[in-house]
Amino acid sequence: MGKVIVIPVAIALLTLFAYATTDAYRVATLDVALTEERPQEVSTVEYTIEGLKCRGMSMAAARILSGVPGVVSITTYVRTHTAIVEYDPGMTDAAAIAEALNRPVVVEGESHQVFRVVETRERG
Amino acid sequence: MRALRTFVQLLFLGGVTALAIRGVAGLTANTCETYCPFGGVAALYPLLRFRVYTCALTEFNVALLVSLVGLTLLSKKSFCGWICPLGAIQEWLGRLGRKVFGRSFRPPARVDRWLAPLRYVVLAAVLALTWTVWQGDLGFRAYDPFYILFTFGGHETRPWSVPILVGILAAAVAVPMVWCRYLCPLGAVMDPLSRAGFLRVRRNESACTDCGICDDLCPHAIPVSRESEVTARNCTNCFECVAGCPEKGALEISWFGK
Repeated sequence: MGKVIVIPVAIALLTLFAYATTDAYRVATLDVALTEERPQEVSTVEYTIEGLKCRGMSMAAARILSGVPGVVSITTYVRTHTAIVEYDPGMTDAAAIAEALNRPVVVEGESHQVFRVVETRERG
Repeated sequence: MRALRTFVQLLFLGGVTALAIRGVAGLTANTCETYCPFGGVAALYPLLRFRVYTCALTEFNVALLVSLVGLTLLSKKSFCGWICPLGAIQEWLGRLGRKVFGRSFRPPARVDRWLAPLRYVVLAAVLALTWTVWQGDLGFRAYDPFYILFTFGGHETRPWSVPILVGILAAAVAVPMVWCRYLCPLGAVMDPLSRAGFLRVRRNESACTDCGICDDLCPHAIPVSRESEVTARNCTNCFECVAGCPEKGALEISWFGK
């Protein structure tokens, strides 16, 4: 066996290394402002969203939220299926934003459940 | 030696198959591409130029690519011979073909030399198309046997995808590792690093009888019997040559060929 064992051991260690260092390369999949002017008071909420699995879906989420008055920005991370949304607390709240994301989208007369918010974490 | 390698191959094949089943059942949004280091290669350009990940690429693809570089420097293309599920399936199909036909078909050396650089063309084409025609979308998925097979025909598959997969797997029965040897773009990325791989097979000329069994056993058709140490870029450190050598001590696993 001898030197051969080096290979599975290296595979195991390098796999662990990849998991441990992945955040070192963390960059948002999408990071867009949805209002021209930033309000004075801004609240932040983080959602875990089923269906948020690529840049295209991130842009779809941004398009949905651009129709919600008071949403300031959206930043998505598809590896963790999370979206961080900034909003004006005087105009909307976390529940209303989640409801907008959960709303089925009608494409060519057919209704599609594109996103499903599975967890909401308000960050203040 | 083969038992250990087969165990590792089955572990990764089981993992990626379980992932595909969970994906089809709607239990996870992740697919085999989430864990593909080639995604890291495709991610590099937009990451360095625009600081974004496109399509379904994430930081994990890049982390896996970094680990792959480490593994290749340490032990040549062990990724292909020990981890890659598509490599494992082709290897087993090649073995089946050998049993059925009594031999493997090996393209003549001249044809092999012409075909081998094809994977560099595939690599260049995939990267160029991704950032031009496909506009950041991973359009290669429709042609990639790994994606087609391990997503059970995922959303990016097209009418020609399954015929491509079937064609490659059928060809692998006759020509072992046909995808890896001639077409795999990830293999092309690893080539220069693999040449330097620290862990490699060494041939002791004094013990070798030049029987050529090792040449026959190599799934990548490397002429082991003509090398003093195997630095060939295609070597996956599968050690089939070492295990099958009838002369004790003629082939050994070594660090830096020493």
